Parts: sequence; structure tokens; C-alpha cells
Amino acid sequence: MKILTFLILITITLLAGIGGTTAYVTPESIVAAGNVYVSNVTYDPGAFFTGDTGTVTVAVTNGNANQSIVANHATFDDNDFQLTSGTYDSSSNIGPLQTRTYIFSVLTDATEGSYYPTFSLSLRDADSLFYKGMVRVDNTPLVVSLLSKPDSFTQAKKDTISVQVANPRKNEVKNVIADVSGGDGVDLLPSTQYIGRLAPGASTQVNFSVTPNHETTLNLSVKYDNGDNHHCTNLQIPVTFTPDKKRANPVMSNIAVKTESGVTHVTGDVTNAGLTVANAVTVTSLAPAVPQDPYKSYVIGALKPDDFGSFEVTFSAGNSTNIPIQLSFRDTDGNVISSTQNVTVPLFPASTQNTGFPVLPVVAVVLVVAIFVGGWFVYLKRYKQ
Amino acid sequence: MKTSLPDLLINPNKFFQQALEDKEQLRYPGLIILLGAVVAAISGYFMGSLTAGMMESAMQGMGSLIVIMAVIAAFVMTFLVWIVWAGVFYLFSRIFKGSGSFNRCLEVVGYGYVPQIIGALVTVIAALEYLPRVAVPHLTSAALQNPQMIQDATTALMHDPAMLEFTQISAVISIVFLLWSANIWIFGIKQARNISMRDAAICVGLPVILLILFQVYKLAGV
Repeated sequence: MKILTFLILITITLLAGIGGTTAYVTPESIVAAGNVYVSNVTYDPGAFFTGDTGTVTVAVTNGNANQSIVANHATFDDNDFQLTSGTYDSSSNIGPLQTRTYIFSVLTDATEGSYYPTFSLSLRDADSLFYKGMVRVDNTPLVVSLLSKPDSFTQAKKDTISVQVANPRKNEVKNVIADVSGGDGVDLLPSTQYIGRLAPGASTQVNFSVTPNHETTLNLSVKYDNGDNHHCTNLQIPVTFTPDKKRANPVMSNIAVKTESGVTHVTGDVTNAGLTVANAVTVTSLAPAVPQDPYKSYVIGALKPDDFGSFEVTFSAGNSTNIPIQLSFRDTDGNVISSTQNVTVPLFPASTQNTGFPVLPVVAVVLVVAIFVGGWFVYLKRYKQ
Repeated sequence: MKTSLPDLLINPNKFFQQALEDKEQLRYPGLIILLGAVVAAISGYFMGSLTAGMMESAMQGMGSLIVIMAVIAAFVMTFLVWIVWAGVFYLFSRIFKGSGSFNRCLEVVGYGYVPQIIGALVTVIAALEYLPRVAVPHLTSAALQNPQMIQDATTALMHDPAMLEFTQISAVISIVFLLWSANIWIFGIKQARNISMRDAAICVGLPVILLILFQVYKLAGV
């Protein structure tokens, strides 16, 4: 009898130690617990990168129409997804037909693949509720591809570059920003563009203009957020100067050089052998020549492809025999493009006058001599007489 | 001395009858030649400047030297020409058994040089008009090493339109005034060398005409 009384006291004492919420498992409570279910699980981000942090939101619904249930403990557990926010350890009541959400912060170091973490909820008056939901770890970044760029870059000429930003992931990314840089001496407009959200499988086009003053490499950086995690994808675009295959190409030809009274006249034609219009075509002489009037410089104007115009420049060559002639024009963007071509000034000016027999002076001399001799002949005859 | 400049230029026979009565003296003829040498030096300065301009780029700093050389050469050459003319007339007159000293010939040639001074002054005026318009070719250092280039440059200089015109004008002027001098020399040599008028005309006329023919030959560029 004493032993039985002791066991009863021990049992009462243990039950008292559990607290005021003493479980009372009854057949009714077990049936009620069967109507409690996980109604929704949401991962943010929808797919993790290895190393990402995120949240898991689990919605638990009490499907009983007239009976509340008491949840004592909720947790989220997996070897590959570490819980960083702790568990729900306090009891809570979920009313009839009510839903309660449990939010957990997690961190994953898992490699790519599908994972099934477990959500568990222990009920006061019944067994625990377990739920396994799938979550992906996907390290596929956004894809940045070059859609179009000029066949060739020209110094100080503005060109447009188009790139495509695509999202091959299973989840949406947000705060997508395209940022392009190229160092000093390169004008980029706009250098930063905000794209915003990019749905899975969606793509968008980004255009920017580049005016390079020297050869460089453009670095296009597409930054985006996967959940609250920052990620970045880069694309490098080399900018090298090569002759523009379609640009205007004025060419000097039919050049003639003539020097008169110390002033050299260079005449010739300029033909546009390119495929675009050459505007404001101007021809002038460079040092050591000193431009002289009337044609210190000669403006031909616009030359369409295959058109030509004549020019004449005048200058004093001094002691130089090799004079650079500068041909400059503006392209469609207004950039001034210059080229020079040397012309050889004859060392000695060519005689422009007929140097044939000087009839008049010789006739004059012969006449004077004849008068002199004749006069003396007559004089001597008279003198003799 | 009862001689006068108008007589020398217009009536040389009368001039020399009076001038050669006195003892030989080369003071006035020498002064005339000196004046002629000064005018010739001025012409030499202009021509030397052209040559200096041609070589300036190849011989930096040598331009002044070239001009000075040209001036001195023209000055000295006038005195040499004086002596040469006197020598020629002296030798020619010996063929006709002429008497009289060489100094008399020098005196006569000196007096007879006056028209050529006038001619030289006219030429200087023509040079002031024409030479600034001449386009001077410039010889580089490399060109100076090539005789053909130097010749081409000289040809280009001489064939410059302004230079060509000046050369022809100055040639005609010098020939006209040389004939005037020859006219004076004939009367002078007749009296200085005691030969007939016909012999004096041959003594003076022949070398003068030969010189003129040579000048015409050069002028014609044959």
C-alpha cells in the first residue's frame, strides 16, 4: 500500500512539473489534430544560390469548425538549410478555421539540387505535425549577352551598344541594375540603368551609347537581388579602333603643283570613296607651309559617296619641298576626321614663259648696231671727201 | 682744262682735241671709272642678293659673304674692263702703226666710259623694278652636292619671267650705251694713237661689234 501511494505521489509531482498546460490526450483531441494541416509554404527567394540566406513562411490551418488547438513547439530542420532565427517555443492557440504562419530565417551552403527540409509542429493534445516541402538551390546567374555593337569603333565617334539581360532561373530576381564603366576618356550614356524585376524566363534589352577617346575595355556589370542577397554578372566588351567599313573616305587625286612668284598653288580633286556622306570637307596646307591668300584653305562642302569636288590651296613653301596637305571632314556625328597627304613642291619654279628666240630685243639691237655702223660708214665717206 | 661733259657726249672730236692737248693725266678718267665701278657695285649687290637667296637655305650665314663678294667683283671688274678695252684698242691701233702711249688709251677709254655709267644707272632703275618680282629658287644642302641641280636652279632663276625680261632690257640698254661709248672712243683713239678716222673706227668698232654679237648670241640663247 505504501509503495502504491508513493508511485501516485511521484506521478502527481511529475505532472505538476510540466506546468499549467497539462496535455489531455483524448480520442476527440486526436481527431481534431487530424484536421490541422500545412496550408502553404513559401520560400523567399524561390530558389537559393549556394550561400544565400532567405526566409521560409509556413502557414498552418486549423480545419476544425468548432474546436481550437494548441501548438506547443514549431521548428524547421534540415542538414543543408541552417536555421538562423530560432524555433517557436511558446504555446499558441489556433482557433477554428484559423491559419497561423510561422516564419523561419535560413542559410544554405548546399550545392545545386532539390532539397526537402522538414517543418514540425507539436500539438498539446495530440502527436506532432510534420511537413516536407521542396526547395531548390540553383546557381544559374542572369545571362548578359551582347546583342549589337558597331562593326568598328572610331576615336571620338559615338556608337550604340545593345545588350540583353535574361533570367534563366526558376524564380524572379529584383533590383536589376545595369552598370557600365570604361575608365577615363570614354563617355558612356547612360552609365547606369535600373531595370527592376525580371521574371523567370524573361529578358530585357539595354542600350547605351559609347564615345571612346582611346581604346579600352568596357565592363558591363548587371547587379541583382535574389531575395535579399546581392549578386552580379559581368560582361566585358573590348573597344578597339578599326577602320569603319562604311565611313566616308575622301581621297585626294589629280594633284598638280605650280609655283608662281614664291606662292605655290596646289590643285586637285577630292572624291568620296566611302559609303557615307563626308560633311564640311576642307583642304588646307600645314606647317612648314605658310598659307597665303587667296586660298589659305578651301572648303568643298558635303560630298556624297562617289561624288567629287575640286580644290585649290595656296601657300608659301619656304625652303621646304615636302608639304603636308590636310584633308578634313565631319562624319554624321560631327566628329572631325583628318588625313594628310604630302605633296612635293618643285625645287625650282618651272618657267611659265616661252623662252624661245627673243625677237624684239635682238631686232632692236641689230637695228641700233646697223644705224651705228651705217652712220659711221656715211660719216667716214664724207670725212674722206 | 677747257673740256666739257656735253662736248664729250655730243661732240667727242672737239672734246678730245682739247683734252689731249695737255699732258697725259688719268685723274678724271680714273674718277669716271670709279663712279662706274660704284654703279656696277650696286648692280652687283642686286645680283648677289639673288644668288645669296638661292643658296641661303643650304649655306646659312653665307648670304652676306656672297653679296660682298659680288659687290667687290663688280667694282674690281670695272677697272679691269677699263684696262682690257685700253689694251685691245692699243694693240689694234698698233696694226695701223699707231703711236702714242698706253696711258693715252687708258685716258680715252676712261672718258668714253661716261655713257656706260648712264646706261648702268638706267639698268639699276630697271633692276629695282624687276628683281623684286623674281621668284628665287632655293637650293638645299643636298642640291648643292649635285651640279645638275645647281644648273637647273640657275636655269630656273634665269628663266623666271621677271628675270628674263630684266635680262633682255639690260642687254639692250648696255649695247646701246656701249655703242655710244664706242662712238666716243673712235674719236679719242684717232687722236691718242695718231691714226686715221677709218683706222680708229676699225680699231674700236671691230672688238665692240664682236662683243655685241657675243651678247646677242647670249641673249638669243642660241
